[in-house]
Amino acid sequence: MSAGAGHISIQNVTKIFARTDLDSTLVALESVNMEIRPAEFISIVGTSGCGKSTLLRIIAGLEAATFGQVRCDGEIIAGTNPKRGLVFQEHSLFPWLSVRDNIAFGLRAAGRYKSGADLVDGLISRVGLSEFSGSYPHQLSGGMRQRVSLVRALVVSPDVLLLDEPLGALDSFTRMNIQDEILKLWNEHKNTMILITHDVDEAIYLSQRIYIMSPRPGRIVKEIPLGMSYPRNRGSSEFTAVRSEILRRLDFAKEEQEEYNL
Amino acid sequence: MSVKGVPLAVESSSTADRQPSVGRAPTPWELRQIEAVPKSKSRVAADRVICALPLVMAAAVTAQYKITPNFGGAATTDIYTGFILIMALLVLIQFIRSLFSKRSFEKLLEKAPLYTAGFLLFALYDFATLKTGILPLPYFPWPDRILNGIYEDRALLLDCIKNSLILLFSGYFAGTAIGLFTGLSAGLSRRVRYWVLPLIQILGPIPSTTWLPIILIVAASLFGGSVFLIALGVWYPVTMTSMQGVLNIPKANFEAARILGAGKARLFFKVALPAAAPNIFQGLTQGMSVACTALMVAEMMGVESGLGWYINWQRGWAEFAKMYGAVIVICVTFSIVNFLLSLIKRRVLRWQEGQWN
Repeated sequence: MSAGAGHISIQNVTKIFARTDLDSTLVALESVNMEIRPAEFISIVGTSGCGKSTLLRIIAGLEAATFGQVRCDGEIIAGTNPKRGLVFQEHSLFPWLSVRDNIAFGLRAAGRYKSGADLVDGLISRVGLSEFSGSYPHQLSGGMRQRVSLVRALVVSPDVLLLDEPLGALDSFTRMNIQDEILKLWNEHKNTMILITHDVDEAIYLSQRIYIMSPRPGRIVKEIPLGMSYPRNRGSSEFTAVRSEILRRLDFAKEEQEEYNL
Repeated sequence: MSVKGVPLAVESSSTADRQPSVGRAPTPWELRQIEAVPKSKSRVAADRVICALPLVMAAAVTAQYKITPNFGGAATTDIYTGFILIMALLVLIQFIRSLFSKRSFEKLLEKAPLYTAGFLLFALYDFATLKTGILPLPYFPWPDRILNGIYEDRALLLDCIKNSLILLFSGYFAGTAIGLFTGLSAGLSRRVRYWVLPLIQILGPIPSTTWLPIILIVAASLFGGSVFLIALGVWYPVTMTSMQGVLNIPKANFEAARILGAGKARLFFKVALPAAAPNIFQGLTQGMSVACTALMVAEMMGVESGLGWYINWQRGWAEFAKMYGAVIVICVTFSIVNFLLSLIKRRVLRWQEGQWN
């Protein structure tokens, strides 16, 4: 990872999907613009089906934008790159590999496994899984699996880490624990972090800026900068104020869509 | 999160006194012992008797064979006696071990009825053939005759086993290698699938042995033709299952691998191959049974060596005992081959253990 790298610039991105069943098309994203600075932590919140995952997949290079483009450090994104890591919601660990081999996968693909073996063990103990490094994914709890996913993406030192509702399937207690771990890892690695979530508290707790998206077509309706210092207090008046503003915005976005549907 | 070092929290009064003193988690077997309802004394005694039943039955088989008169005064040897005694000795070893190890005891208790039934079957067959002639010669030779046939021809049979196995595995490995390549490629690439699917749909339903008469004429060598025949039979199930296996892999696995920088070769060998392995092993097992069938047909129809040829050859001499003997040798050989395959499968698919428990 090079210092100062990880600038993401989303320019007028529109994504239209073909609906094979209905012989029609669906606008998933409409004219999305974002600038994300290196080492910044931003979140995108919105109701499910608003296209936020599609946006993340375009940044990852798994999907191509219909119109517009995404640039990473000036280069137009066309395909995946280990510089842009992605943590999936669930079920993306390789079930046939042990925890350790899952984490080492990226290093092996880059031909850097021999020099990076210590890094793998370091990261495993960093998230408290040393005892389970020989276990297979199905032997782990949901929280442990997501810790492994997180570390597996980090081991290749990506400039940008994309998080696609990584904690969505976990109970709230485990979720809060891993949120703190994510903040610590971000502090140590200084990656650009882009988090997709429908958990408003999670977005406020973690990020420096929050984008609110409206569904069908997915558009950015509001950008909220957060000045609060870390670690944040979920009960503070500032936190609560931001939360009610976001919820109001999300509600407004929903009403607007209902009118649109009429 | 730690499992080690945490004392077991077994609270119930009936099991509290049986807590292991070591401060570690119990093995699955120990756990079953801890949670099992204790057996009464009479129950344990009855179980011991069940464990000894196979030995009693083996003694009965031997006594019947040695003491009661033979039908028509037929001459017999002690090869059958030796065979029964060796079988009985194997059970005896297990029985002695069961006296000292609870684990062996449970295992033998589970198997003892089956062993007893096995010996009983020998006794019944021996009674129906050698002792009474209800099942007449030459179609129903008694066990001692069959064993003698195997013993007489042992050198030839060993040679036949060797030749059969060489032919079997030449075809099996060729078919598996090509099947894996076509199947995995077809699973990964829509374009390959476009060409492979019609081929599978046309060739798949034709039993590979159908081609034998053509191969007998066309093939430059019978061995090469038979290898082709077996390989063709294996190719189909391996292709089908490996393609299906790849199509079943969650998309997220491929995407995660691509994002971590995996190239085409790595996606093929390190993602598609291991992820499809459970399916592939179904194809390998299916393919093995197809291969054994094709092998027998090829050897009976053309190839002039191997176990299939041996059976056919002995038929020419009306040596029924040796034909039965060859059937037994085939059964043992293929069982061993299948057992080895299942060992490999268990080793490779270790990551699946306990996944659905």
